[in-house]
Amino acid sequence: MTLPKPDSLYVHIPFCTHICPYCDFAKVLYRPEWAKAYLKWLKEEAAQRDCGLFSTLFVGGGTPSALSEEELEDLLSFLSKHLKEGGEFSLEANPESLSESKIALLRKYGVNRVSLGAQSSVPASLKTLGRNHDFALVAERVRQLRDAGITNISLDWMYGFPSQSEEDLRQDIDAFLSLKVPHLSAYSLILEPGTSYAVKGVKPLSDDMQQSYFETLRDALAQEGYERYEVSNFALSGYRCRHNLTYWKDLPYIGIGVGAAGYLGESRYTNTRSLGLYLEGRYEEEVEHLDESSLLEDYFLTNLRLTEGFKESDFKQRFGFSFSSRYQERFDRLSSRGLLEQKQGSIRTTSRGLDLLDTVLLELFD
Amino acid sequence: MSFNPKFIRNFSIIAHIDHGKSTLADRILELTGTVEKREMKDQLLDSMDLERERGITIKLNAVTISYKAKDGNEYIFNLIDTPGHVDFTYEVSRSLAACEGALLVVDATQGVQAQTLANVYLAIDNDLEILPVINKVDLPSAQPEFVKDEIENRVGIDCSSACLVSAKTGLGVDEVLERIVTDIPAPSGSVDNPLQALIFDSYYDSYRGVIVMIRVKEGSVKVGDTIHLMQANKDYLVTEVGIRTPSELRTDSLSAGEVGYLAAQIKDIHDVHPGETITLRDAPAKEALPGYRRINPMVYCGLYPVDSKEYGALKDALEKLSLNDASLLWEPETSQALGFGFRCGFLGLLHMDVVQERLEREYRLNLILTAPSVIYHVKLTNGEEIAIDNPSRLPDLSTIAAIEEPYVKADIMAPKEYVGPIMELCQEKRGTYRDLVYFDDTRVILTYDLPLSEIIFDFFDRLKSYTKGYASLDYELSDYRKGELCKLDILLNGQQIDALSSIVYRPSAYHRGLAIVSRLKKIIPRQQFEVPVQAAIGGKVIARADIKSMRKDVLAKCYGGDISRKKKLLEKQKEGKKRKNAIGSVQVPQEAFMAVLSIDDDE
Repeated sequence: MTLPKPDSLYVHIPFCTHICPYCDFAKVLYRPEWAKAYLKWLKEEAAQRDCGLFSTLFVGGGTPSALSEEELEDLLSFLSKHLKEGGEFSLEANPESLSESKIALLRKYGVNRVSLGAQSSVPASLKTLGRNHDFALVAERVRQLRDAGITNISLDWMYGFPSQSEEDLRQDIDAFLSLKVPHLSAYSLILEPGTSYAVKGVKPLSDDMQQSYFETLRDALAQEGYERYEVSNFALSGYRCRHNLTYWKDLPYIGIGVGAAGYLGESRYTNTRSLGLYLEGRYEEEVEHLDESSLLEDYFLTNLRLTEGFKESDFKQRFGFSFSSRYQERFDRLSSRGLLEQKQGSIRTTSRGLDLLDTVLLELFD
Repeated sequence: MSFNPKFIRNFSIIAHIDHGKSTLADRILELTGTVEKREMKDQLLDSMDLERERGITIKLNAVTISYKAKDGNEYIFNLIDTPGHVDFTYEVSRSLAACEGALLVVDATQGVQAQTLANVYLAIDNDLEILPVINKVDLPSAQPEFVKDEIENRVGIDCSSACLVSAKTGLGVDEVLERIVTDIPAPSGSVDNPLQALIFDSYYDSYRGVIVMIRVKEGSVKVGDTIHLMQANKDYLVTEVGIRTPSELRTDSLSAGEVGYLAAQIKDIHDVHPGETITLRDAPAKEALPGYRRINPMVYCGLYPVDSKEYGALKDALEKLSLNDASLLWEPETSQALGFGFRCGFLGLLHMDVVQERLEREYRLNLILTAPSVIYHVKLTNGEEIAIDNPSRLPDLSTIAAIEEPYVKADIMAPKEYVGPIMELCQEKRGTYRDLVYFDDTRVILTYDLPLSEIIFDFFDRLKSYTKGYASLDYELSDYRKGELCKLDILLNGQQIDALSSIVYRPSAYHRGLAIVSRLKKIIPRQQFEVPVQAAIGGKVIARADIKSMRKDVLAKCYGGDISRKKKLLEKQKEGKKRKNAIGSVQVPQEAFMAVLSIDDDE
């Protein structure tokens, strides 16, 4: 039951220059005095959490690129010391807040993967999503990143938001594919409580529409050689996000910053979402100790998001008993409905099972 | 020792819902000092919470009031309350039989309603002196003269000296008290005759057994007497008698003319029916009091626990409820779809509602109710005759010679401009027109013979909506008639669901079948697979709708910070799922079982 030490670090930067109406991550509008104090406490937390060297670093947000060059340099120089040789160092950025000089900083401190919030190529869609860039800028940033030698680029892509037509979707498919980035994350719009969308009563497209949009998108990507390796993530061969795979393989990780979460094998912690509290050094809000049934739930919840599922041998090594000894009956039920399958010693969801993952999980949960 | 009957007045209050019966009763209690104002809960007579919430009286209550009249004498008033709903007509008639008079309370802004009229006629049948009381005269829209005319012309009661009151403010209520003394006759009957006491209500007390509310007509009864129930043919030893003021006050005896309670270690409330006559075993009366009827439930439905583990708890709760409710009948039944439960009989839909709510509220049970059904009399080809209270038990069509269904005589009162729509509705509901009389210049009473099953099938709601709420309805069971009926079965995913079967009028079966399947399609959530919903008669499918399979049920984003939250959401969903009922592999929500009843016009 012993898990390795955390080998991944997530760093949350809660600042944005603009708040998107659908986002429910911990975020605030950027203010330089907050950003400075924040970076100080971030380092403090890293020290207290005993951060050593990691194989993957992921700076997410919020909008990490919203930091000023000086702040960004401060952060990256600090983080780069925690990266193992050959490690993956990812950073999320918005096209409008990124710049050539910031890209130069990324390169200087070893950031080797950038995830750009592109969302859509259709001006009307971008407006609906409350984004104030255009797709030309996305293309521009992709070019600049490549010029700087950062070729491992991912684009965030949204579909199924109100008023999106099928034509809009096709246009997005063409535009996103034209950039030939090796990684794409395509999310259907989720209305999270408390977001501006939810408060305004915005309705996303129906589940049926979203699903048929998704299938269109998925099939188009498959034709271009992108493999769907997770519910919403697609990559060309060799470009899966190693950091995110940590989550989905249910391996331990450390998270620092406002609203960040960490998983230490036997427990999960979640930091406060309040910047005010964080800036007083009171970063940790909740620790959940995990019993066996919780650990099992987490294992399925994460691993079954991956198209490759999990190896039965890994499961047995992790929990000390075989998957079939406890779950055979449930597996049979799900398998007879075409939702779960066993292949080459792995348990994995079928394509339909992935679309209905919650149903699968409800069946597996005790 | 007994009170001189000369100074006793026994009366009821007859009123339509909301016309102010309870408020007037409260004012009377308050003015006579029976209950201190500060002790008054609003509308004391309606003691169940549910009654108070719905503004209706379900269980009867009686209270003894002492009143010092202007003539200097001390009078005893017994105010006997009556339930104001069509389900309880027989109980009303028994309470009225315990009285010599009744206050007819009519809202000065609304006039006489059909329900009131029905009860007034019951009172007249019981030879009661009726004292008209026009209430709410303080409201700007009050038309007391108009309402008086209406009562005079239509009910035939002299209204020249009707009391004009506002029960809310207390205006005119003292006058009502005096008029009770002067207008309502003192009870007749003699202490020297053999005992005849009328039971008009009963309730269960865990220490003393069933407590019966009685009106002594002749003779007297005291502690230590052995009484004989003339209909039930049972004897009991009287352990306690007394009056309610409204709290219980023990007395030595109850004599001719008096109203009070009696305890006699009666274990089972089902042995004591309203209308029963109590006499003494050793000095019996020659005959029972008139008017007794054994009342039978008119409406049946299946009651099932959502969680089969609650079966025992449901049984306990039904046992407890029926301690106090002689009209509630139940027996175990098994449904393939719903498992173990009970078939329960009720006086009517309101009674059913009340029982359901009490089970859910007071006993915290999660219930599935099947759609209510009436009792059908089925004649088999072999000459046998059976009664069917559960549609799924209807035998194979080939063995049936005829099906008879209960009919009611329904009186609908409404403003005359709605006659057209009401007739249309009654026709659609297979009614036979009987009569139309003008109640006054503006209102008519339409009389129809209607199948009871049509009345429980959203009749009242539609009547209300067709008449903008102005119509009122009163009905009583008349007879059984042969009908062109058949069983409509519902199949989910190819599997027949017994709890969804209903007996329908054959010519409208197709329409009904279509309505039910499209309704179920709306109610039943999407499953992981396509679920055909079919309506069938005798194995032949007549309507079909398909519940499309669920296509998407996954959270798009799940990164490190989302895992805990996501897990909690799933756990919540899992809990919710346990509360739904799985039939085969189809999750069917509770309301689906009522779908055969609540069908919109446009479906």
